[in-house]
Amino acid sequence: MDVFRHDIVIVGGGGAGLRAAIEAAENHPDASIALVSKVYPMRSHTVSAEGGAAAVARDDDNLELHGFDTVKGSDFLGDQDAIQFFVEEAPKELALLENWGCPFSRNEDGTVATRAFGGMTTKRTWYAADKIGFHMLHTLFQQSMRFPNIVRYDEYFVSKLLVDGGTCRGVAALDIRTGEYKTILGRAVILTTGGGGKIFPFTTNGTIKTGDGMALAYRAGVPLKDMEFVQYHPTGLPGTGILITEATRGEGGYLRNNQGERFLVDYDYGVGNKAELGPRDMISRAIVQEIEAGRGFKGPYGEYVQLDLTHLGEEKINSRLPFVRELAKTYVGVDPVHEPIPIRPVVHYMMGGVDTDIHGATSLPGLYAAGETACVSINGANRLGSNSLTECLVFGAAAAQHAMDFAGGSSEGNEAALRAEAEDEAARVENLRGRRKGGEKISEIRRELNGIMEASCGVYRQQDSMQAGVIEAAQLRGRVADLRLEDDSKVFNTELITALELANMVEVAETLAVSAAHRKESRGAHTCKDFTTRNDQDYLYHTMAYHDPAGPRLGKKDVVLGKWVPEERKY
Amino acid sequence: MPTTEKTIVLTRFDPDKDETPRKQEYQVPCEPSWKVLDAVNFIKDELDSTISYRWSCRMAVCGSCGMMVNGEPKLTCKAALDEYGSRVEIEPLANFPIVRDLVVELDGFMHKFESVKPWIIRAKERAADMENLNEKGTYSQSTEELADFKQFSMCINCMLCYSACPVVANEPEFLGPAAIALGHRYNLDNRDEGTEERHEIFRGEGTVFSCSYANECSEVCPKNVDPAAAINQAKFGAVIDWAKGLVLPRGGSN
Amino acid sequence: MGAAHPEAMAPPKPGRTRTAPPQMPSTWWSAPRIRTYLLFDATGFIYFLVGFHAIHMIRALGEGPEAWQAVMSSLSHPLYILFHVVALASVIFVAVRFFRLFPKAQPPSIGPAKPPPGNVIHAMLYVVWIGITLVMSLALSGVIF
Repeated sequence: MDVFRHDIVIVGGGGAGLRAAIEAAENHPDASIALVSKVYPMRSHTVSAEGGAAAVARDDDNLELHGFDTVKGSDFLGDQDAIQFFVEEAPKELALLENWGCPFSRNEDGTVATRAFGGMTTKRTWYAADKIGFHMLHTLFQQSMRFPNIVRYDEYFVSKLLVDGGTCRGVAALDIRTGEYKTILGRAVILTTGGGGKIFPFTTNGTIKTGDGMALAYRAGVPLKDMEFVQYHPTGLPGTGILITEATRGEGGYLRNNQGERFLVDYDYGVGNKAELGPRDMISRAIVQEIEAGRGFKGPYGEYVQLDLTHLGEEKINSRLPFVRELAKTYVGVDPVHEPIPIRPVVHYMMGGVDTDIHGATSLPGLYAAGETACVSINGANRLGSNSLTECLVFGAAAAQHAMDFAGGSSEGNEAALRAEAEDEAARVENLRGRRKGGEKISEIRRELNGIMEASCGVYRQQDSMQAGVIEAAQLRGRVADLRLEDDSKVFNTELITALELANMVEVAETLAVSAAHRKESRGAHTCKDFTTRNDQDYLYHTMAYHDPAGPRLGKKDVVLGKWVPEERKY
Repeated sequence: MPTTEKTIVLTRFDPDKDETPRKQEYQVPCEPSWKVLDAVNFIKDELDSTISYRWSCRMAVCGSCGMMVNGEPKLTCKAALDEYGSRVEIEPLANFPIVRDLVVELDGFMHKFESVKPWIIRAKERAADMENLNEKGTYSQSTEELADFKQFSMCINCMLCYSACPVVANEPEFLGPAAIALGHRYNLDNRDEGTEERHEIFRGEGTVFSCSYANECSEVCPKNVDPAAAINQAKFGAVIDWAKGLVLPRGGSN
Repeated sequence: MGAAHPEAMAPPKPGRTRTAPPQMPSTWWSAPRIRTYLLFDATGFIYFLVGFHAIHMIRALGEGPEAWQAVMSSLSHPLYILFHVVALASVIFVAVRFFRLFPKAQPPSIGPAKPPPGNVIHAMLYVVWIGITLVMSLALSGVIF
């Protein structure tokens, strides 16, 4: 088997992964940095982010305010030391991104423009019309091409972390093109593979968001933290789940029910006078309640409410929200200049993920994580919109710095042992290829998984359905070991990749279900109908889920508190 | 939901089993709101899980799902299926070598893409460049300056333009629409100082002058980038720089 | 039918698996969009013929008044008239297409100067074209000069 040696290996080529690669390559020109991604980096799901990236920019803003907004948005579950670090680094990171060519929208005086966003006290979201993720990803990808010491492994699927002597020393990756395994070694590994939204049926996420990195770390013994907190973005298109950015509300859009009322203003949903600019968890709950009260619209893809942009005017929509206009016309046949857009809450982001410290380090020496894959945690129980793109930059860079430091002091490890581990993994996956004797159909298991997650871990959750979800998810874990595969080809076998992804999805889903069922309170995005209030007395901690053959074993981790004392979360 | 049955014909090719690509037909019950990609996904999920193709975002922004649909290069997640009749032929993107089924080899494009130096080139290192940055650490750029290059920065690298370009079909070294448009985007960015370098690349082996302004690339571009305009603007600039280079060796100002 | 150049989009290093050569779809010529472009390129043949005919006329001019009269009278033959009508249609077709594309190929600025907006350039092209055509027609038919 081919063995490739590098200083560090980065798994996942999206916003966080590319930022990490650039940081490592620029500061260590003699180091060799492997960037391993199952898709070409410009296809990473960072590309679909629309609204903006947050950092203090205006004179009427300060770091403390950004920090407090984030802590409050997280329903006081965010670690305040990490949040402090995050808001400090944010302006520097976004300025760097601008220097690298990102085409941010501008003010009259040539400085970068900012817009209002949910849960933010003042305008601090840097934006590029409504395609920030696209511009950020392409800017980072193009910048990364400057560095010949970034070695890209495009369309390689990492299915196992290689551990020797208690330290992570590389990955076993399937070269999708040839169908052969390669051992890619590095003295540190950074996981930046994004979240796992595809375990849900209605999601803004693309098909590649299958929680691969989370599953890799989990199986290697690293706990997954706060998995129960899943963000439902209030405004996704019914049916497809395509994202309609929060910036539509930031630019003044209204949410209306079937009575034409702005229900966030006319009824009390806890968002106060922020109305449509309240935090995402509250708005998603409000929409679900409106629909349950019979004030929603019925459509071929379920019930929905309306996002009304008709009062903004064609010029504003064309200059600030052109992509939204294109999406609405292409996917629901509606021109937002003239008609309201049908929307409903859809799964968008996972606050939870691989447990890391403020440097991106996990409990496994040599293993780091950043971006949506990681849970530092700066987002706690609910993330504020536009914080996650900045999170990718800040923690991608931080993880790279510390991974390179670690790599400098770490040894090579036992190559023979690592290669043997990779060969075992290759043999295991080879058995899966074209496994006609299996009994379970991939698309069937995926559909059932989606159904279980929708029923047990929706916007509103109940103990009985969550407990059922736990049992059903465990059953799926058993069934996914018996998949039937038809395609025995070697070259570009996407069925095999889908099967590996499905196994990852099932693991991630199980940790989510178990974590959700155990948290008997309502906090942030986790709303339990049986325990409707926040219980700081008993539940002010991070849920930790550890891998165990009998199912996820739970633990606790303290929240790092600071100057902001948990208080009632009202806007 | 009432469905219409269509015959979807896919190109199949497994280098270990097939000498040349072949066609395979599937009967698919299509919903009225479906895009072409939905039909392909249906085939994979329900009829034949051995087909291979690329897709991801399904919202026309990642650029993965480009394929030929009834002879035209399309983004299959954006092309509405009900605009086609009862027989829809889906093939891999033209002008690219075929790796497997509907998957084409992109290494050639990635190489061309990298060769135009698609990053901000500054004469000085950032630390020495500080006087050009404002107090927030960003470069000053007006809305008009942004508008100069904004359109050319919208390319999602879907490569439909390469499939449509008659020159790419015949000249393997031609840089091609997306790569030239990207290089030109940086040339027009007021923060960039690398125009001369890129114009030299434009006059080099993959020369922009191979373009005959067929405009096919711009006609198929799903993001209205208008790469044909970029290439022909670039020709103008490349000639000016060449002329300046004759008169003032070592190049005049930027 | 329809093979593209075997190395179209050739990779810089040898491919890691066997690939099938790049293909154009068998119906590549039938899309309305590309048929317009093929027609555009095909008009080149008509100009070739026009040029050939012009050389023929110039030679006749050199051979004396009878040869010239012979060429002039042959021009009233219906086939020649048809040919010139087709040639005129081609010129108009190509000009309209070119005028549509030319404004977009203007760089945003030439040094410190910005070129006029696209639709102004577009209009100017027609004005100049029609103007020159008028002046030449009047000059050749003896009305002016």
